[in-house]
Amino acid sequence: MSGHETSPAAVSQPVEDVHGDGRWMSQHTRFVQECKDAEPDVLFVGDSMIQLLLQHEIWRELFSPLHALNFGIGGDTTCNVLWRLQNGELDNIRPKVVVLWVGTNNHQHSAEQVAEGILAVAQLLTSRLPRAKVIILGLLPRGERPNPLREKNVVVNSVLRSRLARPGRILLLDVGARFLQPDGTLSQRDMFDFLHLTAAGYAAVSKPLSELLLQILEETPEERKTSLV
Amino acid sequence: MSAGGGEPNPAAAPSPCDDVQGDGRWLSLHNRFVSDSKDKEPDVLFVGDSLVQLMHQFGVWRELFSPLHALNFGIGGDATQHVLWRLSNGELDNISPKVVVLWVGTNNHGHSAEQICGGILAIIQVIKNKLPLARTLVLGLLPRGKRPNPLRQRNAQVNHLVAEAVSSLPHASVLSVDPGFVHSNGSISHQDMYDYLHLTPQAYQAVCQPLHGHLKSMLDKPAEN
Ligand SMILES: [Ca+2]
Repeated sequence: MSGHETSPAAVSQPVEDVHGDGRWMSQHTRFVQECKDAEPDVLFVGDSMIQLLLQHEIWRELFSPLHALNFGIGGDTTCNVLWRLQNGELDNIRPKVVVLWVGTNNHQHSAEQVAEGILAVAQLLTSRLPRAKVIILGLLPRGERPNPLREKNVVVNSVLRSRLARPGRILLLDVGARFLQPDGTLSQRDMFDFLHLTAAGYAAVSKPLSELLLQILEETPEERKTSLV
Repeated sequence: MSAGGGEPNPAAAPSPCDDVQGDGRWLSLHNRFVSDSKDKEPDVLFVGDSLVQLMHQFGVWRELFSPLHALNFGIGGDATQHVLWRLSNGELDNISPKVVVLWVGTNNHGHSAEQICGGILAIIQVIKNKLPLARTLVLGLLPRGKRPNPLRQRNAQVNHLVAEAVSSLPHASVLSVDPGFVHSNGSISHQDMYDYLHLTPQAYQAVCQPLHGHLKSMLDKPAEN
């Protein structure tokens, strides 16, 4: 830890219903409800990058068969995910792996603060789920051309990489490099708005992710089977 | 363009989206639309916000609208004033579609239904000025939020005002594409709107099948108005 002050990105905070239709809380409440009926082996949690994955065929192909739940909400920051996880979204479930993808929306925070926020979420997950592993997905490049937000996301990833250098229950999977074209631009074939992924973009992320998930799930003892005996 | 007591209407004043985040994505998309349109000859142009944009990401687009030679100029988060700016700044300059499908207004936060209606009418006027032979099909705003809320009421009021105003325009019409997303208990299902605003692939099918039929009949019998 670089300082004694808590990163503002590690402060738990719900989203304010500025628009007045209560959609964020409706989604959180639904997730909490889903925890009561489901026994997921894999939990996906994060922002729109997680949320939109659920809308693509590849979710049903690669992740549904792993018994996965998707708790993604568009626009969420590390603070918002922290709040959700502290307020019911981990109650009643015992996933073996959590896939965490959040941080690109933390516009008010520095790269170091964002990395601390992501690590704070990951540490909450490992403390609440003592046997689970956490896969942090590295932040992707964004914007058609090089820009400050891309540079910031690169720094976030490199802070995460150095903080997670020693093997442990928190892993980093950084697949961002494959989206950069030789001329430094991003392609709309991968990211339709230079941020969110197309079906092809999700395929590129999902293949290495599902391989890693399968590997972890094979290593993890079958708790549920033994508990049924 | 004004609404109410002569006050300027912010929803009808063309304005580019502020690049508050600093990655220039909005302008990148606009520039891409302008340059991509140069070698295209679309019969149908879709323009609007994320509801238009995300349609392009699912199978329904290739299945129903690509065969109609359609282009998609949707940008997530856009309000009427942003679409107004884009259409006034190059997106209509290289193409001559027969029909423009317009779906925007649910992101006009802070604007009244009257102002949003004024914004939509201003867009219809820009389309008429730039493309005198095209017809504009305005899609009704959808309900939003899991439970009844003020934004649902506002969107319904926008639809009412736009339908009334457009009925006298020969070059524009409205189409309600809500197949009944609000259930009898007042709730909207996440099976239709995964975040109670944006549509799932299944809901896009329900919206786009009738829209496709409507577009085909518009394209089959040209300008009777
Ligand atoms: Ca008319």
